[in-house]
Amino acid sequence: MELPESNSTGDDKSVGFEAAKKIILRWDSTASEDAKEKMIFESDRQEADLYLQAVDEIQRSLSNASLSDDRSKATTIQIAMARLEDEFRNILITNTAALESESLTDPTSSSSVHSHLSSRSSNFEPEEEFILNTEKLLELEHCESADSSRGRSTSSIREMDLMPPEAICDLHAIAMRMISAGYLRECVQVYGSVRKSAVDSSFRKLGIEKLSIGDIQRLAWEALEGKIRRWIRAARVCVRILFPSEKRLCEQIFVGVGTSIDDDCFMETVKGPAVQLFNFAEAISISRRLPEKLFKILDVHDALMDLQPDIEVVFDSKSSDSIRVQAAEILSRLAEAVRGTLTEFENAVLREPSGPVPVGTIHPLTRYVMNYIGLISDYKQTLIELIMSKPSTGSRYSGDPTTPDMDFAELEGKTPLALHLIWIIVILEFNLERKSKQYRDASLGHLFIMNNIRYIVQKIKGSPELREMIGDDYLRKLTGKVRHAATNYQRATWVTVLYCLRDEGLHVSGSFSSGVSKSALRERFKTFNAMFEEVHRTQASWIVPDTQLREELRISISEKLIPAYRSFLGRFRSHIESGRHPENYIKYTVEDLETAVLDFFEGCVVSQHLRRRSQ
Amino acid sequence: MPATDYQGTSSAPFSNFGRSILSLRRDQVHAMEGAHDGGVQVDELEAFQRQVADLFLNLSSASASEELLSLAWVRKLLDSFLCCQEAFRAILYNNSAQVLRPPMDRLIGEFYERSVKALDVCNAIRDGIEQIRQWEKLLEIVLCALDNNDQRALGEGQFRRAKKALIDLAIGMLDEKDSGQTLAHRNRSFGRNSNSSHASRDHHHRSLGHFRSLSWSVSRSWSAARQLQAIGSNLAAPRGNEILATNGLAAPVYTMGSVLLFVMWAMVAAIPCQDRGLQVHFNIPRQFVWAAPLLSLHDRIVEESKKRDRKNACGLLKEIYQMEKCSRLLSELADSVQFPLTEEKEAEVRQRVKELAQVCETIKEGLDPLERQVRELFHRIVRSRTEGLDSLGRGHHPE
Repeated sequence: MELPESNSTGDDKSVGFEAAKKIILRWDSTASEDAKEKMIFESDRQEADLYLQAVDEIQRSLSNASLSDDRSKATTIQIAMARLEDEFRNILITNTAALESESLTDPTSSSSVHSHLSSRSSNFEPEEEFILNTEKLLELEHCESADSSRGRSTSSIREMDLMPPEAICDLHAIAMRMISAGYLRECVQVYGSVRKSAVDSSFRKLGIEKLSIGDIQRLAWEALEGKIRRWIRAARVCVRILFPSEKRLCEQIFVGVGTSIDDDCFMETVKGPAVQLFNFAEAISISRRLPEKLFKILDVHDALMDLQPDIEVVFDSKSSDSIRVQAAEILSRLAEAVRGTLTEFENAVLREPSGPVPVGTIHPLTRYVMNYIGLISDYKQTLIELIMSKPSTGSRYSGDPTTPDMDFAELEGKTPLALHLIWIIVILEFNLERKSKQYRDASLGHLFIMNNIRYIVQKIKGSPELREMIGDDYLRKLTGKVRHAATNYQRATWVTVLYCLRDEGLHVSGSFSSGVSKSALRERFKTFNAMFEEVHRTQASWIVPDTQLREELRISISEKLIPAYRSFLGRFRSHIESGRHPENYIKYTVEDLETAVLDFFEGCVVSQHLRRRSQ
Repeated sequence: MPATDYQGTSSAPFSNFGRSILSLRRDQVHAMEGAHDGGVQVDELEAFQRQVADLFLNLSSASASEELLSLAWVRKLLDSFLCCQEAFRAILYNNSAQVLRPPMDRLIGEFYERSVKALDVCNAIRDGIEQIRQWEKLLEIVLCALDNNDQRALGEGQFRRAKKALIDLAIGMLDEKDSGQTLAHRNRSFGRNSNSSHASRDHHHRSLGHFRSLSWSVSRSWSAARQLQAIGSNLAAPRGNEILATNGLAAPVYTMGSVLLFVMWAMVAAIPCQDRGLQVHFNIPRQFVWAAPLLSLHDRIVEESKKRDRKNACGLLKEIYQMEKCSRLLSELADSVQFPLTEEKEAEVRQRVKELAQVCETIKEGLDPLERQVRELFHRIVRSRTEGLDSLGRGHHPE
């Protein structure tokens, strides 16, 4: 049924108006059960069109009519608006339900640099574990190139269609009427409340939880790590897909009615969720500075940094200032947290109180620190920008025995990050020295230092980035220390042993033998044997993990021991052999000793007695 | 002022020194000053106590424009906190060496733990502010409906519009436990002969249910009351030996902790948040100069919360009360009017609308700045804690 054309002039186009009023009253849901049961916009198209035309008619006549009719018209309009509000809400709700079954996925492909790296910092499950099935969204997957460097354009934003176009059309039609009748506020409120619940349920699907700062502080680290990973993926989806899609929906529904309206609706919808999203990152930035958290904090920092340009684009209106500001604040707090955590790490390395390890091998602290440094160099790109000041070495040259000294003057031209790395190694060495003094056997202390510094050297050499940052000068210093420790070890162990094989003290003048004191000689052999056996027994159980170093050390020992023994034997064996029980004194051949040296630093327990080939 | 409620366990007798908070003998005080390296300046500590006292006295003397628990007063409260915070920070800075020594390091560490708990309260308050904003927006609908600026006579339509918004507001402002009852009421009152059997199909009902559950950004188990308890746990006035051992610094730590607790408590009292409970004990020895004004404020607020018409309020903020009152009066008016309106009725409506407009104006002007202040509080607490923890970390030398 077509409404008759209304003429622009004149009187109360009563025919058009009356018919329109009838339509509106017919659909008054407070007046009839039938009106309440059915929805206009779920019925056929014609009903909806008719209704809208009726509303328009009333509106038109309201602006032209005389005062006396106003009240009933105003009531009619109110009834129409209340009805439209219901319809609006209904269309939103119906079409929102359809959306929720769509899957949401992280638009960053798993080949991005940092997600690869984060696999090294913890036991890492593949990116795919999170991703649900994604027919429609696969095209969004590959929008990121492998280069996930910062400051790129926001081509990473992808808007999804949240509603079928017919629904959007209807919503727009209704919104127009409501707004022109002065019912903008109701419209915005309904829109906001329905869409916000949609966003909330998407959040739940993405695994974004409502965690307080207290909750996060109480979480065990492994649990928190998992949540951080999930958050990073979720944040990318929210900022790059979810929020922009909502924004576009607002723009589509409220097109042509002034930009601030769609802004307001957008903010109604996403402000709360956005703040909730960022609250998590904020909580991370506030948490206690535990060294093991450094890399996850860096991950959050980098993820947020990556999202900055997109955040600027999505939240570009005046009313969303606070969100942009909060994101920037959080980013800078995360940077602070990174710096603080690094400092805390340095303190922890300095303080670490455990004793030395048995058999002088690599201390877990050394492994941990070198592993940590390795990860630092992986995250070099970000850290170089974040670490801006030299390490605070506290008392430099203060003579304070509790902190090492470091002269930064000779390290000109290095980035602060590199200085920190060197400082960390200096602290580690310092701590290791402290530990080495706790060995009862000084030789073992030296071996310990030798092994650990060697480990450090090898780790640095094994990583080009690390080597480049630490520099060959310092590397040389460290290598020198290894050598020095080896020398110390040799002196500590072998000087006394070789002392047995010296010439002096054996020759006696005026004796009727060939000038050698047999008793002294026997003493010497006995002492040598005992000492060597002891050293052999002990040091066979010691460990030098580095194969090359082990070989070198053994060779170095042999080089001193074997010729000395051979020469001693050569000069004095006859004196012993001419006496009684020579086998008690000359227990070992040169070959025996050579073989025995091979046992050194193998880390195994040998039987009390050396193998003997003699006799 | 007899020191009757103070249990000192130190052997030194406690005598009164008028305004001297430390309540130590003068010679003991002098012994602290200039003790070993950098003795704490007693003047500085006393000045701090006086400053806190002054701020609270100021808050107590509510003027007409800054009535107790009004938006303006709450903002003054937060400002006072920020002042105390800065002064406290200065004391810690000036006495950094002392802060690192036990038992002060433990005391300050506890304080930082307390302050982290306050951060969640700040976030919850932001939520509450948003909640108030939503209510204000509903009132704007009412104003829009009943605003008679264009001289058109108010008809049934406008009243129905206003009534709808007023009911939404009433439901929104309810305490959670009461909401079921009133939803049914809403269905009934909404139409002349609608019945609640179609409640399931009532779209309003559905979306209003959303209204409540979505509004909090914290999990369902979070509780403002519990959080306040946590902030106040183990907050006890320092004993004499603690004061001596820390060269007096234990006192400002306790003071700041108490101020923190009070401010958080007052905010929770004023602004809606999840599980608002006001059962927090303030056990402050009267020697502290600020104890009396703080405790009197506390008592007045508690009294307010017990008043008959405020017992079930979702927040004690004066403006919330005004919103409730105005909207209730308007609601009653709307229910009672016959059309066409008599001149008398119309005048009454206009009056109520004017009052409502006033409240809305106040709220609109005051909420944004309040939110910014809460955020500022958040920042300062974080910053002071970070600085403090960092310097504690630096100060620790190996064994």
